[in-house]
Amino acid sequence: MLVLFTDTDTDLTPAAAKEYGYHLISMPYAIDGENIYPYEDFDEFDAHAFYDKLRSGVLPTTSAISTQRYIDYFEPFLKNGDDILYVHFSRTMTATFDNMDKAIQELKTKYPDRTVYTIDTKGITLMSLIIVKAIGDLYKQGKSIEEIMEWSKTEIGHYACYFFADDLKFFRRSGRVSGLAGTMGTLLGIRPIIYMNEEGKMVSVGKEKGRIKAMERLVSYVEELGDDVKNHPVLIGNADAPEIAEEIGAMLKEKFGDDLMIEYISVNPTAGSHCGPDTVGVGFRSKARSL
Amino acid sequence: MTKTIDGLMYLNMLRGGAGNLGANRTAVNDLNVFPIPDGDTGDNMYMTINAGASKTAESPLLGEVAMHAAREMLLGARGNSGVILSRIFAGIGKGLESEQKADTARFIYALQQGVKEAYRAVSTPVEGTILTVYREAVEYATRRNADSFEALFDDLLTELAASLERTPDLLDVLKNAGVVDSGGAGFVYIAEGMKAALAGLEFGAEAAGTAHPKSVNLDAFTEDSELEYGYCTEFLLRLQRSKIDIDGFDLNAFIGWLNSVGDSVVAFREGTIVKGHVHTMKPGDILNHCQQYGEFLTTKIENMTLQHNEAHGSTGFKPKNSKPKKPYGIVTVAAGEGLKEIFTSLGVDAVVDGGQCMNPSAQDMLDAYEAVGAETIYVFPNNSNIVMTAEQAAEMTQNTDIRIIKTKTVGEGYAAISMFDITVGDTDAVTAYLNEIIEGVVTGIVSVASRDVEGAVEVVKGDYIGFVGDDIYVDEPTPEQAMLGLCEKLRAGSYDVMLILAGENADAEKAAQMYETLKQQYRRTEIIMLQGDQPIYDYIMILE
Repeated sequence: MLVLFTDTDTDLTPAAAKEYGYHLISMPYAIDGENIYPYEDFDEFDAHAFYDKLRSGVLPTTSAISTQRYIDYFEPFLKNGDDILYVHFSRTMTATFDNMDKAIQELKTKYPDRTVYTIDTKGITLMSLIIVKAIGDLYKQGKSIEEIMEWSKTEIGHYACYFFADDLKFFRRSGRVSGLAGTMGTLLGIRPIIYMNEEGKMVSVGKEKGRIKAMERLVSYVEELGDDVKNHPVLIGNADAPEIAEEIGAMLKEKFGDDLMIEYISVNPTAGSHCGPDTVGVGFRSKARSL
Repeated sequence: MTKTIDGLMYLNMLRGGAGNLGANRTAVNDLNVFPIPDGDTGDNMYMTINAGASKTAESPLLGEVAMHAAREMLLGARGNSGVILSRIFAGIGKGLESEQKADTARFIYALQQGVKEAYRAVSTPVEGTILTVYREAVEYATRRNADSFEALFDDLLTELAASLERTPDLLDVLKNAGVVDSGGAGFVYIAEGMKAALAGLEFGAEAAGTAHPKSVNLDAFTEDSELEYGYCTEFLLRLQRSKIDIDGFDLNAFIGWLNSVGDSVVAFREGTIVKGHVHTMKPGDILNHCQQYGEFLTTKIENMTLQHNEAHGSTGFKPKNSKPKKPYGIVTVAAGEGLKEIFTSLGVDAVVDGGQCMNPSAQDMLDAYEAVGAETIYVFPNNSNIVMTAEQAAEMTQNTDIRIIKTKTVGEGYAAISMFDITVGDTDAVTAYLNEIIEGVVTGIVSVASRDVEGAVEVVKGDYIGFVGDDIYVDEPTPEQAMLGLCEKLRAGSYDVMLILAGENADAEKAAQMYETLKQQYRRTEIIMLQGDQPIYDYIMILE
């Protein structure tokens, strides 16, 4: 049979993973040189405690997981005669997937009849989660792997994610956002608007002064870019900023109606190490990734 | 009775004018409409005219002196009154340009050119200012048509004083403050000083201020330097009978030729001597050409890169180098280390030192433009009294598209620069975008009142006033109370963002307390407080 995998960078929690039948690969972050594996080193993610540490000046790092760790995750299932579908976060953001490639290659020689399928969600956190969930739904509906792979070819570009950070120092340090206007040394009340493009890269598309204008801009993307928004879930992610997330939720409901299917998501600590506290974003079904 | 004046006399008059204004500048400074210290008109005008009085080389040739002095004043101009003053003298210079001497008729003509040039400098001339005072005096002198310079200056002074007295009738702000126009008053002192010089009082350049002997830094032009400014080439040429028909020598054709191989051309003929001045990349060509008419009495050729650096060395900016120009740069004006750092961190290429109490000169702005060396430069003057200086400096640059975003406060400058985005479109689009940003910005300021003022808000000297532009909203015993009161009056809670810049006089502890109070009071507004260290203003508040 087919076994589903995803990683913790997609924001899927163990409880939700269980619901869909996903197995979780834990993507680590490190504080003071000590690696912490989400949901392996702790059971529940305390977002407030984690992001408060960042607010007080702690700057975590993240690292790729090893080839061996991938083998350890996958091998028991292949040995058991199962195939694997790994729906993962963006390849362009990390070196992790080079290790994954090596692991899959090794496993292929060992288990030539088995297959590890992979789908790149071309994103991280919300962007990935909305796709992980859609694939989970297809899986639950009994779609074949061929049908799921075919779906992914056309549909991954039909989800979009826009967000803004509160303090750009985290993104500056990680260097993972392109197009941040060169004049932005400090970020005092100014919020660059960032989205994830078709290649799974984070790109800045301008900036807004003040949180309120930035929130309005996110809502305007859902309006202009959204496709059948009312019949798909809208994810609002936040790095320990639930009030802002709820305010965006209220703004969206005002536009689309109270029955809009909104899910509030807590941004996982590994991705959160790059975007920093108080980042908020929205993920939704869309015509394309950008206008 | 003086029927004609030459270059030496005119320069002496300028020095006399500068000297008399210098001695009385405090009186001019005190003609201040708004009850906080600002870019003092007396100082600005004095520094402007003194640039001409002290830096102009002595020469009997009136046109040469008048043009040289005008150029120095254009560069030295500070503040709006200084810019207008420099344009008056630029007009006079143009009126005298081709003259070795001038009689009163010619001088009156030159004064009229001064009126034209000054009005041209201001996009919307305001009557009741130095413009009116000077224009009416020139109109009066034109009607009187005196035939001696003593009588001419008597005429000018008569009407200058009368016109100055009328300025409060033309401008309510003057009437309300109970003062006459400060720029007009400054011009009266200048005219008085010029007249004193005419009466035979000798004024040295030193009395007028800051002439220093030139010291040329030879390292400013190295083996890798590129010739950017060419050579300042001057000569005295004795026309030779053996070479040409001296009477048939055509000076205008000669000037035309000089203009075809260089610029800044000045040439005069006195008898058989031709004096020439030209900036050129190839001085040899000039000398060879001239020799077909005669032989040189003296020549002087100076590499202007050395002159340039010598003249500009003190501003702290690196001289322009030969690297390819970058596509765009940003220049702004600010006082206070914190504020300068904030602007630098936002990506500003050059922060010109200056602001409310200390207006930079056109030369300071020009130096910044040149130091940035970009194809397009966006300039944020951050003070209404610096806008014209920035524009004047822009007119004096070449090959650079200078876009002045007329920010009137540091708040507007911050708002626009922090949202600077070159990807908006072409230069026009970026300019329009930046202008749009500053429209929605309110800059509230808290500062100590320097005198009592009657009005809707009773201002008591020593109290702290909160104001926006010319409108005073509150008068309170402490700067923090003035801030809180001002926030209330301005409905701070209806804005998305409030940025507070604490000045050098602000008490850190009280500022922190006030910050907490504001955050409690205006929960919806995002409030940020930074240390601006600006002088004069205890707090600057930017509401967007």
